[in-house]
Amino acid sequence: MTVAGHIAPLAETPPALRPVFRWGTVASLLLWAIVLVLCLVPFVLVLVISFGHKVEGAGWEWAFTTENYLRFFVGASWPTETTFLYVTQLYWSMRYAVVASILAVVTALPFTYLMTRQSRRAQAMWLVLMLTTLSLSEVFIVMGWDIILSNNSGLPMLFAASGLTDWLKESGWFDVLREWGLANPRNVKFKTSEVATVLTMSYLVWPYAVILLYPALSRLDPSLAEAARTMGARPWTVARTVILPAVRLPLMGTLLFLFVFLLGVYVAITVFADPSQHTTAVSIYENVRGSTLNAPFGAAQSVILLVTAAVFLLLGQRLSRKSQGPA
Amino acid sequence: MLCVFGHIFMSLAAIVVALPIVIVCSAALNGGRTMYFPPEDPTFSRFGEFFFSEPVWTEALWNSVIVAVGSATLSVLLAWPIAYGLWKTGSRGAKLLAGLGSVPFALPPIVFGVGLGFFWAFLGGLGSIWAGIISHAVLFLALPLVTISIGLQAIDRAHLDAAATMGATESVTFRTIILPQTLPYTISGFFFALVLSFNEFIVMFFVSASAFATVTLQIFNSLRNGYTPTMAVAAVAFITVSIVVFSAVARWGDLPRLMGADQSRT
Repeated sequence: MTVAGHIAPLAETPPALRPVFRWGTVASLLLWAIVLVLCLVPFVLVLVISFGHKVEGAGWEWAFTTENYLRFFVGASWPTETTFLYVTQLYWSMRYAVVASILAVVTALPFTYLMTRQSRRAQAMWLVLMLTTLSLSEVFIVMGWDIILSNNSGLPMLFAASGLTDWLKESGWFDVLREWGLANPRNVKFKTSEVATVLTMSYLVWPYAVILLYPALSRLDPSLAEAARTMGARPWTVARTVILPAVRLPLMGTLLFLFVFLLGVYVAITVFADPSQHTTAVSIYENVRGSTLNAPFGAAQSVILLVTAAVFLLLGQRLSRKSQGPA
Repeated sequence: MLCVFGHIFMSLAAIVVALPIVIVCSAALNGGRTMYFPPEDPTFSRFGEFFFSEPVWTEALWNSVIVAVGSATLSVLLAWPIAYGLWKTGSRGAKLLAGLGSVPFALPPIVFGVGLGFFWAFLGGLGSIWAGIISHAVLFLALPLVTISIGLQAIDRAHLDAAATMGATESVTFRTIILPQTLPYTISGFFFALVLSFNEFIVMFFVSASAFATVTLQIFNSLRNGYTPTMAVAAVAFITVSIVVFSAVARWGDLPRLMGADQSRT
């Protein structure tokens, strides 16, 4: 900024020759270099190393082999033997992420709408609570839900103590819960179960959903909904015909953001999901820093996770464009 | 009728959001080594262990503070010229640069963590605390970038025109109008980055290579051995920091506006 002060007397010289432009160029080149190196190179490295070759007991070496990708889709000892272990993990990644993000958005939408109808002061208080839970580390959130859901404390104990378990057994619901994997022979159980996993993941991204839906909903003109109501529309009709169409795009964007975020969740899965239902993120961790140590394969799985995210983003974009077109 | 349903729904949501937080906080009072709810033999001695007497935790806390403050400062310093260029020129290049800077935050952190692990292994920074600081600065670059951009857009163009007609140079305008008017937004961006860095552990896990640990990383590493009440103390401390920071942003900055609320209605 002092540069601009120095060149003030040189104002007669043609603009192109002013030294400030050269300084500006150097500075912006430097900025570009920093951002490119730090934001892009790590991802490029993941891509390049995903084609590398693992050396038994000695790490890995540069190569150009597709063996890691082949292993992902048909297993390591293909063609003698085919396993779909890694594809199954990707399936669980997507399944958890889809269910949890939809659950979060569906519950966050009415909440955020009601929140934006409150006073500015109340909104600020809600936002503080949302931002606090949003920034709260996954380890703390999992810790909390673990205490709530684990078998010898929290909800199962509450179920047994309050007699709810006995009531469930009498009414026959207990067998249904057992079929769903939510009960052992003696009591209800939530660890390990898909319900607990999805609930925790949904909780994890819920404040994100509120924060992301907030701008669109707070800009919604309240006179529209009011007009519909005075014309005799029932609340549900107002929601369906006035509010939902107005926030369709941000809704889709929020859903996609939550989905991509949830693809990478690690701690919640390892604590709440059955090992047979573990995800790609868990496998990446095991391969890069955990017990199996196969960095190129971990990198290949990371690439596949990114490609999955990209595919869903593209699909979402196409879907929302279609919904925007002539109805 | 709808109003009643609305209030019930909102209270229910608030309870569910607060439930795990309340339970973790109360578990910090446990006297023994195990997490019970409700706490058994309530005591505050775990707080002393976490903040003063247990070197594992005091060291981790110190690392957390260094990484959070360092990375938040760095990411604000990096975000300022990017946001300023975007606001000043609005060119395609500036947009691309800002987009690139937001990529790490938008993608699953585990992938960025794996990439940074390779990156620092090549540069020889793996396991050093400055590599951790730079990594977090890049990961959370998007936050100050967004808040500073919002702040720049909020500047009244009439002030800039007035300054220009009175013959103010670019540096004077920057010092007297742009910087003071965007200061609250810069500070908000700093604190957003600070709090999220405080709580992040996946990227730090890959970058630290077990050479050092922040508080959340320390908890993550000892997950397999089960929870201890001291970890819950860490949770209490972190939640307190978040509430204080965000309440300060709400008090002195315009939180609804930062989150994208409409300005015309109050």
